[in-house]
Amino acid sequence: MSLGTHHGGRGGGVQEDVGEIVAVADRVRGAIETVIEGKPEVLRLALTVLLAEGHLLIEDVPGVGKTMLAKALGRAVDCSVQRVQFTPDLLPSDITGVSVYHQDRREFEFNPGPVFANIVLGDEINRASPKTQAALLECMAERQVSVDGQTRTLERPFMVVATQNPADMEGTYALPEAQRDRFMARVSVGYPAPQAELDMIDSHSSRSPLDGLAPVTSAAQIRDLADRVHSVHVAPGMRRYVVDLVNATRTAPELRLGASPRATLHLVRAARAYAALDGRHYVVPDDVQALAVPVLAHRLLPGPEAQMERLSPEQIVAKLVARLPVPGPQ
Amino acid sequence: MPLGSLACMLMALPLLGSLVRGGTWWVPAFVMMAAVAGVSALYRLSRWNTFPVPFLQALVAALLVTPLFAGHVAPLGLLPTDQVLAHLVLAFEQGVDTINGSTPPVSSSAGVMLIIALALTILTVAADFLAVTARCPGMVGGLLLALVSVPLIVDDSGVGWLPAAACATGFLLLLAMDMWLRGHEWGMPVPEPGRHGSRAGALGAVRRAVTVSLASAAAVLLALTVPLALPSLRTDALHTMADGTYIGTGGDLITTTHPLVSLRRDLAFSDRTVLTYRTDTEQPEYLRTYVLDEFDGVNWTMTPVNASIDARVDGELPLPTGWGSAPSDGVVTTRISLDSETPRMDFLPLPYWARTVRATGEWYVDPRSLMVFTTDSAPTGLSFTVETVDRVPTAEELSDTGSPRSLPGDYRNLPRGLDPRVQELTDALTEGARTPYERAVALQEYFTGGAFTYDLDPPAVPTDADPLVHFLLEDRVGYCEQFAGAMAVMARQAGIPARVAVGYTAGERLGDGRWSVSSGDAHAWPELYFEGVGWVRFEPTPAAADGQGSASVPDYARGSEEGSDGPGTVPEEPDLPSDEAPERPEDDGAPEEVPSRAPEESEEPEDEPTSSAAPGDDAGTGTGPAWLSAAGAAAAGLLLLALPALVRALVRWSRMSALSAGAAGASGAHSAWRELRDTCLDLGGTWALAESPRATAERLARSGPAPRTAEPGGLMSGAAPGPVSPQAAEALWRLALAEEAARYAPSPKPPEGLREDLRTALAGLVAVVGPAARVRAVLLPRSLAPWRRPRPAPGPEPVTP
Repeated sequence: MSLGTHHGGRGGGVQEDVGEIVAVADRVRGAIETVIEGKPEVLRLALTVLLAEGHLLIEDVPGVGKTMLAKALGRAVDCSVQRVQFTPDLLPSDITGVSVYHQDRREFEFNPGPVFANIVLGDEINRASPKTQAALLECMAERQVSVDGQTRTLERPFMVVATQNPADMEGTYALPEAQRDRFMARVSVGYPAPQAELDMIDSHSSRSPLDGLAPVTSAAQIRDLADRVHSVHVAPGMRRYVVDLVNATRTAPELRLGASPRATLHLVRAARAYAALDGRHYVVPDDVQALAVPVLAHRLLPGPEAQMERLSPEQIVAKLVARLPVPGPQ
Repeated sequence: MPLGSLACMLMALPLLGSLVRGGTWWVPAFVMMAAVAGVSALYRLSRWNTFPVPFLQALVAALLVTPLFAGHVAPLGLLPTDQVLAHLVLAFEQGVDTINGSTPPVSSSAGVMLIIALALTILTVAADFLAVTARCPGMVGGLLLALVSVPLIVDDSGVGWLPAAACATGFLLLLAMDMWLRGHEWGMPVPEPGRHGSRAGALGAVRRAVTVSLASAAAVLLALTVPLALPSLRTDALHTMADGTYIGTGGDLITTTHPLVSLRRDLAFSDRTVLTYRTDTEQPEYLRTYVLDEFDGVNWTMTPVNASIDARVDGELPLPTGWGSAPSDGVVTTRISLDSETPRMDFLPLPYWARTVRATGEWYVDPRSLMVFTTDSAPTGLSFTVETVDRVPTAEELSDTGSPRSLPGDYRNLPRGLDPRVQELTDALTEGARTPYERAVALQEYFTGGAFTYDLDPPAVPTDADPLVHFLLEDRVGYCEQFAGAMAVMARQAGIPARVAVGYTAGERLGDGRWSVSSGDAHAWPELYFEGVGWVRFEPTPAAADGQGSASVPDYARGSEEGSDGPGTVPEEPDLPSDEAPERPEDDGAPEEVPSRAPEESEEPEDEPTSSAAPGDDAGTGTGPAWLSAAGAAAAGLLLLALPALVRALVRWSRMSALSAGAAGASGAHSAWRELRDTCLDLGGTWALAESPRATAERLARSGPAPRTAEPGGLMSGAAPGPVSPQAAEALWRLALAEEAARYAPSPKPPEGLREDLRTALAGLVAVVGPAARVRAVLLPRSLAPWRRPRPAPGPEPVTP
């Protein structure tokens, strides 16, 4: 159990600014929970990434509801959702779109690919060839598509939810670290609790639960909320705390590769959204601590000692967090 | 800073001023100290690694020693050769001999100057290392203390206030300089910005000042009172240090308390059993411990005794001076058992004249005085057997003796500066006495004749007066030390070899041949030498109720009837009050034949009505002060015990009153949170710096102030005291949120009810821990211990400025 849940996650002074965020988030959460039960943390993280305008990497074994989560998120927010099934023979143009020559009108017409959507679900992203992966990842970073020399901007909100199977499974091309760095957070869904699995048998056997999921908010509202997240206050001490934490990953002897400056930006943005979801207009260390593993761990490469000791990057990050003093009174 | 430590050491130099004669002894020391400090200062300008500094300093000092102390034998005045080294070693040894062989002030010979210069150079190097390299200038105080202790130990008059003040000023200057430098390196500590108006700031300052001054006042009070209540500190330890006498023993030194000091101390504790003995004579002799044979004008001192191999006691002792062979008289065997409570004796108390001594351990004898001593630490509770010659000279025997021939003349030496009036008095007293014996009896009767008052606590001698003259001619008040010393001096003036013996009287008879000697029987008496008889004891100290209770005048020393008339010319002495003189013979005529405690008993009821015959009961005389001091000690102990609790309560009160004084906003929340932290620490809980306020609140709510047993990651387990009450949990949560907002929010709203929340939370925490932890939290609050404070775990360190 993580922090905040004991008291319902409601705490510090709720301002009107963030009050709406909380209300909307609660609605979205409630909606998704009709589809995926017993994973509040995963949901919260997904909402955080959505509000922080980042991209989410869901990594887990097949069949635990990765795709279902992404679909439910897209359905709950009334916005366009596209799904791309990555396969080894998928071409870059299958993602970005292609210009087609219309004989009758004697002109090229751009057929936008699946990336032209608010939420793009990239299923099993590590099954595609690196070339195709690169095409998607360019869109993720630049939020624009260049086809035939013409640049097209993508619509906000734009969120890629990619799923991947653990790298050591058959027929996969592991994402290079440069591309993993573009995802704001990585999360694993995990197996459901026995009770949730029991309930699932009932609810999922007759019809797809997605059918009953009605949108509870709109793309415009999400855009508005994402703008408000930027106003969440990050105290100077908290900024230093984030930088110290990221620096600690660079100096930790267990790690071969530390987190990038982009990771620092991602962590601060995610922390702002996380705080806003909690109804706060300022970031506290708990936000950073809760986000450190999902935001940082997938960017890190463990060193040989850590591999020998079977220390995962997640464990190393947790260790660093447990040791770094939180910013005290100024 | 190197120059600062030099200045500090230089200001301590005057401490040695009273120990060395001459005005130039400090010059070489000064040159070498300045040189090593200069080396340090120059080298540190380079900002290289400071590791080689002490080595450089040692090198420079070694280079300087040659021109300073061996310039005349060294080539070019400064090249160190074998010859130079030999010269330096020789000078050093001579210096050691000078220092050991003379009383301060010692002459400033080259050897002494060399030793002083070397010692001070080493101290300066050490001070430089401590103050500059290690940045602990406070530790230099230890070096200064070592320097101060030299005059304290060696010189009876202690340290003058001027050198002491100079030394202290130097030390304070060094500390001040260090603080000043630190302030420049790190920035001076600034008070917290007075965000809530100057009034709250001023209040806080006053509160801090009150806290600090109360705490320091309590500490000073305790430091001054507690030692007074502890008996062990009040009695002998300090005297022993200040009055220690060195006795050269052919290579190794033994330190002993000055005999007269221990005598004074023993007399002050009149009820402590020192030893018991069993003897086969009806009239045992005094037990003699020390013999003082040199008079310096003020004090009687002991010539150094020699613990050489030939002087080992192997049963039989050498014959005393004046005897070519042992007399054919009988032998008295005495078995002496020192009480185990008695402080160790390096010198054995022996009756005179001992022929054989059988004691375990290594003992040596001084053939001149028959003192038996050890260089080891003698065991307490020692038992030994001594055989003495059963030979008491008769008055006739003594009066037949002529002038001493078989004795070296130094037993008649007197310092030149003696007041001539003493000689006049001696001449007047011994006028008409034909033989040395008659002169001796006349002198003794002068003291016992009633003109003198026995008082263990004589009035102080004016500082400019000669104590001997003061005693003899002016107030005539004293105890055995003065009587014995004065008579020995006057005997020497009268041409009789004399010395002062220190030890114990025969003590109190327990019956069945057993005798008990207590510290009240400590005594000093003169021994006079008569040709053909040897050393003979006299007893000038008044005996009986008004004097030394168990003292006894020997039969031979009592003089014949006409003898007491002969020296009866005493009243002619103008200084003697004539009305007291005639009573002398009567007083003298009733001496204590058998030493007994009875006189003391008759003396004591005046102040102690409950006193009875049993010596053990004398412990009752100390009852009043004893329970008082015990109560004082108990009170001080309680105060000491309660001191942490008091300080902690003061801190809590200060924070609580800050909360109620409306120090709202950030500082209020911080105060409340700190109080929570300290209470958590007090109760034995942990406080992690890497834990955010709300995480801390959750942990406390879940498991109380339990020690964290989990490894990093934050899983708490183990013997958790259990969850706190829901109200306390809510209060904890609100406190955490207030603290969090105060720390991280852009403009925190003033929280409400912090004071009540704090009370609830603290009560909730206290409620879940066991009674032992609660008591410990009150009596020994861990939050006061700096080393118990939370500190960063090893690991990532903040890199941001």
